[in-house]
Amino acid sequence: MQRFIDPAVLAGISGLDLIAKTVVDGFIAGLHRSPNFGFSQEFAEYRAYTPGDDLRHIDWNVYARSERAYLKRYRGETNTLLTVLLDASNSMKFSSHGVTKSDYARFAAAALFYLTTQTQRDAAGLIVFDDEVRSYIRPSNRQGQFHRLLSGLEHAEPRARTDFTKALERFLEFLRRRGLVVVISDFYENPERIVRALEPLRFRGNEVLLFHVLDPAEVRPHFRAPTTLIEMETEEALEVSPEYARVEYPKKIDAHIEALRDGARGSGMDYHLLRTDRPLDDALREFLAIRQGRS
Amino acid sequence: MGLFSPGYLAAAALVGLPLYLHLLRRHDAESQPFSSLMFFERRTRSSIKHRRLRYLLLLSLRIVLLLLLALVFANPFISRPVAGMGGNKLLVVVIDNSFSMRAGSRLADAKRAALDLLESRNPATRAQVLTLGSQLHALTAETQDKRELQQAVEGVAPGDSRASFGQLASGLRSLAEAVSIPIELHLFSDLQRSGMPAGFQEMTLPPNTTLILHPVVKEATPNWTVEAVNAPAQVWEPKKARLQAVIAGFHTPAATRTVSLVVNGKTLATRSANVPANGRATVEFDSLDVPYGFSRCEVRIDSADSLPADDRFLFSVERSDPRRVLFVHEANDSRSPLYFGSALTSGVEGVFALETRTADEASNTQLSQYAFVVLSDVLSLPSSFESSLLEYVRGGGSVLIAEGAAAARRSRIPVFGGIIQGVRNYSGSAQRFLTVGEVDPTYPSLAKADHWANVEFYFAVAAETSGARVIARLTDGTPLLVEKKLGEGRILLFASGFDNLTNDFPLRPVFVPFVEQTARYLSGMERRVGSSVVDSFFELRCDKDRAASVEVVDPDGRRPLSLKEAVTSSMFQLSRAGFYEMRLANGRHEVIGVNADRRESDLDVIPEDVLALWRGGPAPASQPVAASGVVQEQTKPFSLWWHFMLLLLAAAVVESLVSDRYLGRLRDET
Repeated sequence: MQRFIDPAVLAGISGLDLIAKTVVDGFIAGLHRSPNFGFSQEFAEYRAYTPGDDLRHIDWNVYARSERAYLKRYRGETNTLLTVLLDASNSMKFSSHGVTKSDYARFAAAALFYLTTQTQRDAAGLIVFDDEVRSYIRPSNRQGQFHRLLSGLEHAEPRARTDFTKALERFLEFLRRRGLVVVISDFYENPERIVRALEPLRFRGNEVLLFHVLDPAEVRPHFRAPTTLIEMETEEALEVSPEYARVEYPKKIDAHIEALRDGARGSGMDYHLLRTDRPLDDALREFLAIRQGRS
Repeated sequence: MGLFSPGYLAAAALVGLPLYLHLLRRHDAESQPFSSLMFFERRTRSSIKHRRLRYLLLLSLRIVLLLLLALVFANPFISRPVAGMGGNKLLVVVIDNSFSMRAGSRLADAKRAALDLLESRNPATRAQVLTLGSQLHALTAETQDKRELQQAVEGVAPGDSRASFGQLASGLRSLAEAVSIPIELHLFSDLQRSGMPAGFQEMTLPPNTTLILHPVVKEATPNWTVEAVNAPAQVWEPKKARLQAVIAGFHTPAATRTVSLVVNGKTLATRSANVPANGRATVEFDSLDVPYGFSRCEVRIDSADSLPADDRFLFSVERSDPRRVLFVHEANDSRSPLYFGSALTSGVEGVFALETRTADEASNTQLSQYAFVVLSDVLSLPSSFESSLLEYVRGGGSVLIAEGAAAARRSRIPVFGGIIQGVRNYSGSAQRFLTVGEVDPTYPSLAKADHWANVEFYFAVAAETSGARVIARLTDGTPLLVEKKLGEGRILLFASGFDNLTNDFPLRPVFVPFVEQTARYLSGMERRVGSSVVDSFFELRCDKDRAASVEVVDPDGRRPLSLKEAVTSSMFQLSRAGFYEMRLANGRHEVIGVNADRRESDLDVIPEDVLALWRGGPAPASQPVAASGVVQEQTKPFSLWWHFMLLLLAAAVVESLVSDRYLGRLRDET
């Protein structure tokens, strides 16, 4: 049952490493019982040695039998570069039940980093952005990378506002190698602009996965009385009636989600909605599904 | 509609509370941070307005609730007319048909309003129709017959009488004694101020009578009239006759009126009268050139006002030769005819012609041709002459008897009939004379004779005066002047002589007016009037036992008296304006012009506060006005508290249902 740990409970755990370990270990244990999912560092293929390849990967036994140098490749080693683009704008501070979207996003990112670096020994990096790239941790699988990533996540406190267009110009500077790019954000932007801003990543051969983090109150808001809403990024105030929030708003947010999902899929990107009141399993499952597909 | 407790209306200010709560109160929206307003639009504000509009029904209900609550405490009422409510009562419809109702369309308006009232009457209610003039006349008995009542109202004709609300109250008091049920009195009148009696208490209505006034006018109407004419009833010398007419304006501006003197339909003279505003002007005509006999005269003005009927004043003038007076005296008495004749001709020059005769000479005289007869200290009268005199007096003639020294040789006074109880010779006393002690100044002969105290009487006759009226007495109580009526005539006894032997009366200035006034009185000139007022009475005969027939012809040429009445009636009421012709029991012929009481010409109305007192309640703030005229009805407040209470309860129930619906919706939303 650990895989169903409530995010609010996770928020009570200090330390992202412990959270990540708790989530991933529980999740992996659940997978062993599942007949539909399987993942391990199993052999994939032999590839002829080409100059420049690491000599440590040569299968010397084959070389002894055939006098030909082959490199032994494993399935998990085909795509090992994970870059998480974490939205740290003010809107990510929103919470209606104890876990902010920012925390939830960091939990998800930490779990992904744990899964990538500690379990699969793959390289992982982090880009924290709002209206610009605030911090960048270069993808690596070296010793201590996981803790560097967690440190980056812990310092990724929300502030300022989101500007994908501006931030993406910087992403392209950092993402020169192909890999898996996970964008975790609440995506309060025109879906078309979001897709257009992220499409270059896809064009460069990256697998792009959009984790759309939304608080349940953002999906289905409930107001008992007319409420003055103050936008967290711009501090703009607007009085909202319960009727509107009950009738009109859900249509619009659903349309937005649908447009973003369609736009992402239309551009070859994967999209997944993460509600902060749900366990992180969905995020991991989506991640692994994509990872499996790539392998 | 009114309020018994209008102060509670101040609570209506509470409607501001729901207004404030629903519309004016600043909306305290809860502030809440939100991730993005991307999907909220500016038009969300209109949704709040929409919500407020949606609650307008609830707001309206709450305002109505509070207003009704305030009205319930204020206890509203409406004034319902008492008329037409039916029930066990007697509906008395009184229509004023006095002279002033001839102005404009007053009478027609009053009849129309009365018909409307009868039309709306509860058929079960008994009603009675009366007219009001100087008296209250019942046109119908108490009946439920609508047709009879309507015919009575339609048949009301304009009258010439003066309205008397005192008579109305008196008549109603009599009626109230006869009926045991409440009386609802509807008075259709112009409510003329002059119709009020001198004492307001005379207008008091019976306790079981409800007075409802239907005034046909609201305010005074300007009116000119010939208020009075001072003209001689008899004319002997037309050139010397003078006539004065008083033109009066009531509530009128200053104006010049043309005044005409019309005799027997012919205009004799015309004058202009400058009548001041709301005042009077006198016009004088220097001559009254009328033919012999009775002439029907009138003074007319051109008023062009709403009441033309009072623009002429009717009067009659009789032109005749000087009236003959028979003076009977002893042959040796030359002083008496001298003094009497001198006084008579100097007092009323040209009116009387004195004929002096001795008793023997007068025996064969036709007495009917004389205005009156004077017996001046006649020692004895032939019995035939005395009989003629008695017959003459019974037929309406008059005799003046002066008893001088000759009375000492008689035991009775001829014609007068009284026994001579003694003679008083005061010359032998220490005082030598007596003076007049008591005088009845109201007697016509003494009207202008006010210096009797200086007259010295040396001799007087003490006669039996039973059945006679003593007009003057000497200081010792001896009757000096005594009048006795006999038949249609009268006998006046002067207990002294007209010579200057038994008194110095003929030498005193008071003698001339005494003779003049006595001559006028005895000749009937004093009673002769050329004009009279409607509803006044005219004496047809003095002796009720005398079966002499009289004849009266009214202005329409009809004879209002039946044959029986012509023999028995002693008085006749002049109920119409116009000329009446009469032949009296004494044989005299009279023509008299009858005019409406000029108080009816003042068309001022009774003030509203007085009317309110008459009705017995406060003055109403307003009066309902009907199309046919002003109709004022007495009303009774009818409380609407219970109706408003029911409305309040109904509004409370609806408000609960509506608010529950809204609150339920709100619960669903939350």
